[in-house]
Amino acid sequence: MKIGSLKWLFGKNSEFWPTNMKTGMWAWVGHRLTGLALVAYVFLHLSFLSTASVGSGDFDSLMEVTSQPLFVAMDFLLVIVVIYHAMNGARVIMFDLGFGIRHQKLVFWICMAVAAVLIVGGLWAIWDLVFVPAGGA
Amino acid sequence: MTEERIATTKVAGTWAWFFQRLSAVLLVILLGIHLYVAHFMDVGSHTGDEALITFEDVSIRLDQLIYIAVDYSMLAMVLLHGLNGFRTVLFDFDMFAKRKKVVDRGLWVLGIGTLLWGIVILFPFLSGG
Repeated sequence: MKIGSLKWLFGKNSEFWPTNMKTGMWAWVGHRLTGLALVAYVFLHLSFLSTASVGSGDFDSLMEVTSQPLFVAMDFLLVIVVIYHAMNGARVIMFDLGFGIRHQKLVFWICMAVAAVLIVGGLWAIWDLVFVPAGGA
Repeated sequence: MTEERIATTKVAGTWAWFFQRLSAVLLVILLGIHLYVAHFMDVGSHTGDEALITFEDVSIRLDQLIYIAVDYSMLAMVLLHGLNGFRTVLFDFDMFAKRKKVVDRGLWVLGIGTLLWGIVILFPFLSGG
């Protein structure tokens, strides 16, 4: 396999070319991308918390920024990513335990339906923080 | 394509597979507690309907050993799950699958290092700044 050119990975004949991918493959790619994003987030999260080592004032001023509606809206993106990863992960564990693998496509869409409901719940929980300015409270 | 790819499952091993599932289930539970405690529970000046978290709020929360236990075990599980997942992604590429020892050592150092960093991060909240 030639590593030098990335055609084998992203070219038209590769497994990853969008029209070559079926449901299970999309689920897998999605799981990896969200997984990598979440690992990056964890390190970002830790580095934000570590500002308290500089001083409690530094931590508080950073928290002021991150409680702004824009950042809370970004938290909602995080909610979507986590819920997708968790629901597809539940599907993977189900298959490992021997349930539903023959109906993997259907199981994927059921998991995504549950994910959609959870995401709406997340939006409901986060709504006021984005659209109701904190100054009023 | 000259040679066959190395199967990722064979390189990664059964224990990695098992702990990935175990940590996944634990993380769902821990994340639920973590989110509720950090954002929705009334602590100090923080009430469940506002976004702002202050140093004081976190300090008050971390006065109780149970919250330190939740957060720190969550960090351990996140690192296990995240770095183990990253390891699986790496092993899908032959250049990393061929260098299993280097990858494994690197990730252990990163994981344990970050776990120790977690203590450093926690410290100011415990000593009150």
